[in-house]
Amino acid sequence: MVTKTEETQLNRLENQVDNGGGGAWEYLCLVKKLKVRRPDKVLRHGLSILNDPKKRSALGPDVWTLYEQVSIAAMDCQCLDVAKDCIKVLQKQFPESKRVGRLEGILLEAKGLWAEAEKAYSSLLEDNPLDPVLHKRRVAIAKAQGNFPTAIEWLNKYLETFMADHDAWRELAEIYVSLQMYKQAAFCYEELILSQPTVPLYHLAYADVSASSIGVITIARLMRNFHLYSGFCGRDTVLYTLGGVENTLLAKKYYASTIDLTGGKNTKALFGICLCSSAIAQLTKGRNKEDKESPELQSLAAAALEKDYKQRAPAKLPLLTSALKSLKTS
Amino acid sequence: MGSGFIVGVLGVSILAHAAYSTVQYRGLLKIMEDEFSNPPMNVVIELLLGLVLCMWAALTVPGKFLSIHPDSEENRMVSLPGNLDFMIFNHRAKVFRSEIDMKLKL
Repeated sequence: MVTKTEETQLNRLENQVDNGGGGAWEYLCLVKKLKVRRPDKVLRHGLSILNDPKKRSALGPDVWTLYEQVSIAAMDCQCLDVAKDCIKVLQKQFPESKRVGRLEGILLEAKGLWAEAEKAYSSLLEDNPLDPVLHKRRVAIAKAQGNFPTAIEWLNKYLETFMADHDAWRELAEIYVSLQMYKQAAFCYEELILSQPTVPLYHLAYADVSASSIGVITIARLMRNFHLYSGFCGRDTVLYTLGGVENTLLAKKYYASTIDLTGGKNTKALFGICLCSSAIAQLTKGRNKEDKESPELQSLAAAALEKDYKQRAPAKLPLLTSALKSLKTS
Repeated sequence: MGSGFIVGVLGVSILAHAAYSTVQYRGLLKIMEDEFSNPPMNVVIELLLGLVLCMWAALTVPGKFLSIHPDSEENRMVSLPGNLDFMIFNHRAKVFRSEIDMKLKL
């Protein structure tokens, strides 16, 4: 998980390293610790350390993990010969290692030799059938080929054994979302919220999924380009059904819990509250209003949004106010 | 750290002195063959003072408190880690080759 402090620290180090200020090794360690994907920077700064014999020997045994990190980054940048060289060095040092064998499999994947990679993983799995990373790589192979049903099948099989692996649950959820299978994705996010209830991003994703599943999919689309967006009128009542109201209420609750967990600093959740409230108001129009809960939530969220925009993007404020107004009147 | 530590030592020594006074007082009671009614005033005051000093030292010496609020800057999640175990390589890097042409020197 990347927290706000860690993010600022990472950005600061990245700036410093990019401008030649030193601290490359600290940066690479932080990238690895936070598990962020910055292949080009890891490749450049990692190679500059590895090519300097003095710096390399200063690292001691840590140099081998750096070789691993750089080789994966090189594959991610499609600099396959660099990756191959790194793996060769590792192979010389650790001739029988399974970890290096895994890297070779990943290299085959990066080349696009799916069948060979699959074969390499199966032979590694024979020695160690409970290696989670190998199982995950097989899922990745299926995913890379666009074979989502197989990927889902593998993942489900994997999750039967490794139920506590939330990365895998998240991956499954994301695959389901990409296939628009929102009900299944919602199940995965429920699982994630149960295992890590304090991560607001899972609440947010769950709310998105429950909102999307009934056709407030515009929410997701709106979030992606809410700066370009000028006039959401909420007129598309395509899929709004009675079941829709329940799901929208659910989505609203989870947006609210995201706001609770982030102290109101998540713009997406604030937008979600506004959209869900207006969708609910529209759906229950003309019906009895006895179950109307927290009517001030929408105006509070709108006020928070306006304050945030005033502070960070004053130029976009008129856009926001017009969008919020159209939400309220519709 | 320094001053807090000294305060802590002072607090502990006051408590120790209170213990010593209590023992002495009991000895005195035995000699005078009196019944114990309540502890002497100076011991009570010493105990309270020692408690306050020790508490203050215990709160300041070990270090700073970390926030437990989920919405504080240290705890607020802003992004999930890249799911690197499932990373796949057929993305735009294939088409847009990176301009890094460094080689690993063997």
